[in-house]
Amino acid sequence: MAEISDSVKLMDTGKRNASERDRQTENSQLVGPAGLDIGTSNIVLAKMRSGAVQTVKQLNAFFAVPRSKFTGKVFAKNEIMYFARNGQFYIIGNSSDMFAATFNSSTRRPIEGGLLSPKEDEGVNVIAAIMKTMLPPPKKPGEVIAFSVPGEPVDTRISVLYHETVMKRTLEGMGYFPISVNEGLAVITAELSNDNYTGIGISMGGGMCNVCLAYMAVPILSYSIQKGGDYIDSMVGRTLGESQTKIKLIKEKELSLTREPRNRVETALQIFYDDLLLHLTQSLEQVLASSDKVPRFAKPVPLVISGGGALANGLKERFERALKNVSLPVQISSVRIAEDPLNSTAKGALYMALSEES
Amino acid sequence: MAVAVVVFSIDKTRGNLLLKILESGALKAKLIKTVFDLERMVSKHAPSIIVFDSKYHFSKNYTIVGSLRSKLPKSAIIVLCEPYTEHIFTDMGIRADMCMADPLDPELILAKVREVYFIKNKLYLRFTTFLSILYNLFSGDTKNPYLSFVKKVLLIFALIASLTIGGAGGFILWSISDLPKVKLLEEYTPLESSRIFSTNGEFLAEVFVERRRFVPSYKIPEHVKKAFIAVEDVRFYKHFGVDFQRVVKAFIENMRAGTIVQGGSTITQQLAKMLFLKPEKSLSRKIKEIAIAFQIEGRYTKDEILSLYLNQAYFGSRTYGIEAASSTYFGKKTEDLTVAEAALLAAIPKAPSTYSPFKEPQRSLSRRNTVIRLMYENGFISESKYKEAVAEPIPKHLESPSYKAPYFVEYIKGVLEQKYGESLYTSGLKIYTTLDMNMQKVAEKAVENAMEAFATRGIKGVQTALLAVEIKTGEIKAMVGGTDFWETQFNRATQAMRQPGSSFKPFVYLAAFRNGYKPSDTVEDREVTYFQKKGEPWTPHNYTRRYYGTVTLKSAIARSLNVATVSLANKVGMERVVESARLLGIKSVIRPRLPSALGASEVNLLELVCAYCAFSDGNLHEPVSYTQIVNRYGLAVENITPVIKPVLDNTTLEKMHEVLSAVVTEGTAQSAKSLNRVVYGKTGTTDDYVDAWFIGFDDKYAVGVWVGRDDHTSIGEGEAGSKAALPIWIDFMKNVVR
Repeated sequence: MAEISDSVKLMDTGKRNASERDRQTENSQLVGPAGLDIGTSNIVLAKMRSGAVQTVKQLNAFFAVPRSKFTGKVFAKNEIMYFARNGQFYIIGNSSDMFAATFNSSTRRPIEGGLLSPKEDEGVNVIAAIMKTMLPPPKKPGEVIAFSVPGEPVDTRISVLYHETVMKRTLEGMGYFPISVNEGLAVITAELSNDNYTGIGISMGGGMCNVCLAYMAVPILSYSIQKGGDYIDSMVGRTLGESQTKIKLIKEKELSLTREPRNRVETALQIFYDDLLLHLTQSLEQVLASSDKVPRFAKPVPLVISGGGALANGLKERFERALKNVSLPVQISSVRIAEDPLNSTAKGALYMALSEES
Repeated sequence: MAVAVVVFSIDKTRGNLLLKILESGALKAKLIKTVFDLERMVSKHAPSIIVFDSKYHFSKNYTIVGSLRSKLPKSAIIVLCEPYTEHIFTDMGIRADMCMADPLDPELILAKVREVYFIKNKLYLRFTTFLSILYNLFSGDTKNPYLSFVKKVLLIFALIASLTIGGAGGFILWSISDLPKVKLLEEYTPLESSRIFSTNGEFLAEVFVERRRFVPSYKIPEHVKKAFIAVEDVRFYKHFGVDFQRVVKAFIENMRAGTIVQGGSTITQQLAKMLFLKPEKSLSRKIKEIAIAFQIEGRYTKDEILSLYLNQAYFGSRTYGIEAASSTYFGKKTEDLTVAEAALLAAIPKAPSTYSPFKEPQRSLSRRNTVIRLMYENGFISESKYKEAVAEPIPKHLESPSYKAPYFVEYIKGVLEQKYGESLYTSGLKIYTTLDMNMQKVAEKAVENAMEAFATRGIKGVQTALLAVEIKTGEIKAMVGGTDFWETQFNRATQAMRQPGSSFKPFVYLAAFRNGYKPSDTVEDREVTYFQKKGEPWTPHNYTRRYYGTVTLKSAIARSLNVATVSLANKVGMERVVESARLLGIKSVIRPRLPSALGASEVNLLELVCAYCAFSDGNLHEPVSYTQIVNRYGLAVENITPVIKPVLDNTTLEKMHEVLSAVVTEGTAQSAKSLNRVVYGKTGTTDDYVDAWFIGFDDKYAVGVWVGRDDHTSIGEGEAGSKAALPIWIDFMKNVVR
């Protein structure tokens, strides 16, 4: 794996604003095992602080510009997170979004469809750099960090092995003892503790949807479909000739699946949401039906949805409706939306790390 | 410790799932993923249960199940299989209920494993499982709603239980906080009667608070012990102080009957109650009783406990302990009791009054027969013995012991009470007295004869006291304190203060002899009026109203001349007379006035007789009423050695002998000559024949007789000492075996 040649410059220390300073202080206080959700859109870090789980989030994105002294000065002036490599400045994390907006352009993603993007050569380095901004070096070598990995996709022939291994090595290089956690299982761990960690967990991320069925925290089966929030944005954008960024903005700010669509964007969003849910529930039906590992459940099990896709208002009802159209070998007692959808995977990973540590 | 449950599954997910399932049931299991590992594992340890997941396993490899069966015959094999492969395993001999077809049913699997586990595993494994369950409940999964519920329920139960147990424990602790020390039993000293014996070893009386005589275990016959065991506590030799089996049985019986029909107390508990606790009915008392019972059982053998119980139990009629009961009810010793008698005694302690053979003969008989039946049913006696025992009658009257020499017994009780206090009645002493039963009988007979003689003279209601003391030792050999003890217990020999009359005169003559007078010296026997200190005139008269002019001292005392004696006393001085009386042990108040010379100051018979002993041998004699006291252990606690203090020189003694002899040979007591031996003495009569005395002695005994009435009225005209008292004295002296 290529090493990051330069250290990440987390903005000019002298010019850090107060909130960033606070965040860094908080980060430095986050000790012990950590949970990491390396998602298509965001990287979320969860750690224990004063007995409570605290999460830190960075956009999993970057923006590359040619390296120059002037640009460096501009970055410093504008408190931009970046690293230099191969004659390029890689602006990373939340800074990349700010920079892209400044330059009226779009960020690039090191991860696509939930896995390391084959298109981005520096993807791993970008991720490593973002993680470094969030993760202080471990206080002691071999500190456990659990990071989320997607289930094997059922709709493509891509393996998660490469992604999982590279991430593991990156974290090892940072001095941690990494363990991979299925993203769906992480959701179950975070959300279904009252159900004895038994049920179905679905993480609707940007790049994919991860599904896991667990019995008492034992993953019976897990898989993923390479459709997620980005799929909806992309399909709606493509269909309506709108930019994906705009569609995403509308989806996140205005969309409600409970009401009748007010415009063609909402109509398209609802159509592609339904398409995603249909795809998801059908895949669930197929995977469960084809598995011979599913045990007999004494009672119906809950289904919990997390991730950015779960933020849409009315998703729960839409999903319930979609579920009615499939016949699952496992009875579902209720469909729930995670308490904190954007952070539940990281939290679940943290719980796994904590249990590993103990 | 070997792993009790082994899960074999080549599929990681199923294997982990199975482990989790078992873990949720608090069963620790080990997952084996390869046949190689499985074989290695079972070659080291024989797990109790092997959960064999045949899924994804080649069917040709199922033979390993057969191999496991033969290698580990004691291990249970639960097979998880496809429905269509089930028959393969059943053909191998795996029971159908041990084959569980897909899909995996966690609850069924867990139930099956736990069922087999609990059947197969040893106690410690079960125990660890329970510990593990508890651990999981309280420290394991904290978010499982079912566990939370169970936890809450358990916590509530635990809270209630701990409150109850804590409360009960506190109450028990409080109850037993002031527990008496069972160790004290090592110094077990029951309240035991003391017994009084004559000098010949004859039993005189028993004095007690609780009539009890201790009898050691070895002297209690086996059938007596068995009688009590049969009726009171048939499992006596099987329990440890408390018979829980019996308590439960009694509880059920009592619940059925709606009242208390059966008790649950063992002999040990009853003993604890009798020895250490008040007879109140309270839970606290019951707890103490149980605690003490356990302590007693821990410290003593069953035989010791039974013996303590038998010696402590109450049998009615103020009788405590088996030995006294045997004596009271049957007039015999415990060792001589028959089966029927033992059964009757065993029947009594439950309710001494209800089952008294004298008060409730029918009930008593019925319960006695119940005891005999129980003895027979429990194999303690043979059938023939049973039949023989039930045919035996029950006693009809109390075997009350007849007390002998009652006045003496009362006297000695008084003497010993001063020294031993209450313990006289509780310490089981044996008191060997000085009383000679032969002499006592003679004394009693002499008094009886005298009473008859008085009766023939028309004199009734007089009392007589007789006291015989051995001169050499001062020992009281016979004592009659009145004509009928059961009519009046007033002891005239020791308690009655009477004017001694002329019997006091020898002290006047002693004073004279000690001051140089001789018996041959003379004194005037003429009527003289003396003036007392207050100026009152007093003119003593002779009994016969005859006055002899100048008479020898010997003659004066022999004839019991009052005037001559007063004259002598006047010469010698009453102070010296009183001093002489004191010297010889007269303790009563003797007023130093002339009338005292004629016996106007009251004395009692005992001191007078003891003083006469001194006239015999010149020594001061304290009365001795017992020679030895032996405690319950047979150890002498007191041996009396007579303290002899010489008070008279030989010259004085000879003079006294001379004059007192003259009383018999030529004076008022001539009838005593009939004894045909040398005896000495002095008669005494008070005014109006209120008191008649004769105090005399020979070489061995000093004997005093008093006759009079308790109300100080006249005995009868002419009933002077020589007439009323002397014959009794002579009668006694004649019949005493010397």
